[in-house]
Amino acid sequence: MKAIVNMRRWTLIVAVLGILFILWSTSAQAQRPIKVGVIDTYTGSPAAVFAEDALNGFKLALNEINQKGVLGTKIEFTTRDDKWKVDLGLSLAKELVMRENVDLIVGTINSSLTLAISDYMKEEKVPFIVWISKSEKITGEKGHRYVFSTGENSAMGGKAGATALAKKPYIKYWIAGDDYEYGHAIAEASWRNLKTLKPTVEKIGETWWKTGEPDLVPYYTSIMSAKPDAFIVCGGGATMTNSLKACKTTGMHEKIAVFMHTATDHAVLKPLGLEAPEGIMGTMDYHFYYPDTPANKAFVKAFQDAYGAPPGFPAFHGYNTAYFIAEAFKKAGVIDKEKFIDALEGMVIDSPGGKIEMRACDHQAVLPMYLGVTKKVPQYDFLISSGIVTLAGKDVMPTCEEIMKARGK
Amino acid sequence: MDFLAFSSQFLVGLSRAMILFVVCAGLSFVLGVLRVPNIAHGSLYMIGAFATFTLTKFIAGSTGFWIALIVAPLLVALISLIAERALFCHLYQREHLMLLLFTFALSLIVGDLVKIVWGAEYRSVSAPALLRGSLSLFGASLPRYNLFLIIIGPLVAIALWLFTNRTKIGKISRAAAVDREMVGVLGINVSWVFAIAFVLGCYLAGLGGALIAPTVNVTLGMDHSLIIEAFLIVTIGGLGNMWGALVGSLIFGVTQSLGVLIWPQFAIVLPYAAVVIVLLLRPKGLLKSVW
Repeated sequence: MKAIVNMRRWTLIVAVLGILFILWSTSAQAQRPIKVGVIDTYTGSPAAVFAEDALNGFKLALNEINQKGVLGTKIEFTTRDDKWKVDLGLSLAKELVMRENVDLIVGTINSSLTLAISDYMKEEKVPFIVWISKSEKITGEKGHRYVFSTGENSAMGGKAGATALAKKPYIKYWIAGDDYEYGHAIAEASWRNLKTLKPTVEKIGETWWKTGEPDLVPYYTSIMSAKPDAFIVCGGGATMTNSLKACKTTGMHEKIAVFMHTATDHAVLKPLGLEAPEGIMGTMDYHFYYPDTPANKAFVKAFQDAYGAPPGFPAFHGYNTAYFIAEAFKKAGVIDKEKFIDALEGMVIDSPGGKIEMRACDHQAVLPMYLGVTKKVPQYDFLISSGIVTLAGKDVMPTCEEIMKARGK
Repeated sequence: MDFLAFSSQFLVGLSRAMILFVVCAGLSFVLGVLRVPNIAHGSLYMIGAFATFTLTKFIAGSTGFWIALIVAPLLVALISLIAERALFCHLYQREHLMLLLFTFALSLIVGDLVKIVWGAEYRSVSAPALLRGSLSLFGASLPRYNLFLIIIGPLVAIALWLFTNRTKIGKISRAAAVDREMVGVLGINVSWVFAIAFVLGCYLAGLGGALIAPTVNVTLGMDHSLIIEAFLIVTIGGLGNMWGALVGSLIFGVTQSLGVLIWPQFAIVLPYAAVVIVLLLRPKGLLKSVW
């Protein structure tokens, strides 16, 4: 009994000391820390692999940034798991804004959720930086002052793919993909650009499967029987791996040219090892082996040392996002949401992939697109993107006039 | 309509139906005997697939897959035995809503555990050398692995039929499905029968996971995409009726794959439309429900 009383007394003392310590430390600090809320899909969906990767890149950059500090303080973050659900993700955004009083929110891979959060952030006037979601609507038609994107989008990927396909002799196309915002966005962008570049092309059919459809073989066999010249697959990363697998099983890529926007992504190709089909066309805005520059090598090494695997494109975006945030606050000089946005518009940072500009007119990061074909190489036990052709960001992005027109201004 | 395309599409749909059947037979068996709507069934299917991945990584070559096909479902059965003895056996008397919530919670927990054990990366299992590529069947092309599935499905159905009709435990479990008080009154240890039925059902989930592993991406979330379909199938087939699970799987798998060929824009809707039609015409399912 006495022991319990003692325990209670000790708990009380520790609690009081704890509170005093907190009060003391906040008053001692001249500047409060910058608070970033991170919302992404960490469970419940195959997308978790990308979300983790982006977060790792973000953390790596923050470790570097916080050693020197920003405005005499640090950047802190707190994460929330949206489980790929739009309603849940939106309520998490509300919680972060209202209860946690975050200075900005970053994250999100699910394009449908991204658009929902973006709407909310516009109302609340809190900055939102998107690092994976690729729907072009985010910084295009539905863009506004409070939303930014540090990753490429479907307009850029679609135009890059269309540029490559327009040079090939194919006429009859079939388009298939995940039945959600991103799948339709990339399909629409690929086709719109292809039709402009080469008006003779003809779409003979479309197939849409539900997001996360595990077995694509039935879809592939039916598409093969329609005998198109080329086939465009539009979907997220898990669909890319499944699609490559279905290609291999049905032998589709041996008969029909196949373009999949992110088929050349490392996260997609690695699981299949040497089993992945060769000759699939794909586009990416980053590879850990490309661009082959000292800056990229240093980033890959630091990332590999910290997390035991090379960075994927989300890690690259996450890393850049942290630097954009830090640099923008430094330029703004104060922790203020409106001044942060003014500072971020048109800002250029040195990224592992070279200089990246945050375009002022639409808040879209200007990233190059790397167009390549899957290939086996002796130095890796998985396929990589080869014969890479680089398309400059400004050549694949819609112009500022086009963006303003899409926004109805 | 091209007849060859149609028949090859039909066969692919049939093979998809076979995997659905293996998983749904297990779900239906648990529903019938134990009256537990086990949402965590999908999680066990996911564990089966992940275990297959790990085993094929450890044992190189085609033998790895064959060993995994035997060991992975047994591993799942072992996990389910522990879960049954530790958790489920205390909850059979609760109402269905409670069980639904409990198994749903369990599925979330297992989802996180799988992430802790295996990580979030995509995984892929290669089919054994013998079953790679496609072959031509009367001119219609069919992936070899899908043909293998078409053979496995009926074998599982026969084995299940033999178990429920020719063995004593099977007969008791069938009786327990119809009237469990009566089985108890006859002096049979019902708790023990339930454990066996549960483990068998879960074994089938694991087997389904092992069978599907070479055709898909083994990832988090594969449990959720399956479990909804599985519940639809056992509902249209008649709850707890194993042949109902077979009929339901066939309807679901074949309408899906033929829908893709005939009406690709609306392919997603077709299997669900078939479910709605069946339920409008026969609200208790196609075959006799034991509920």
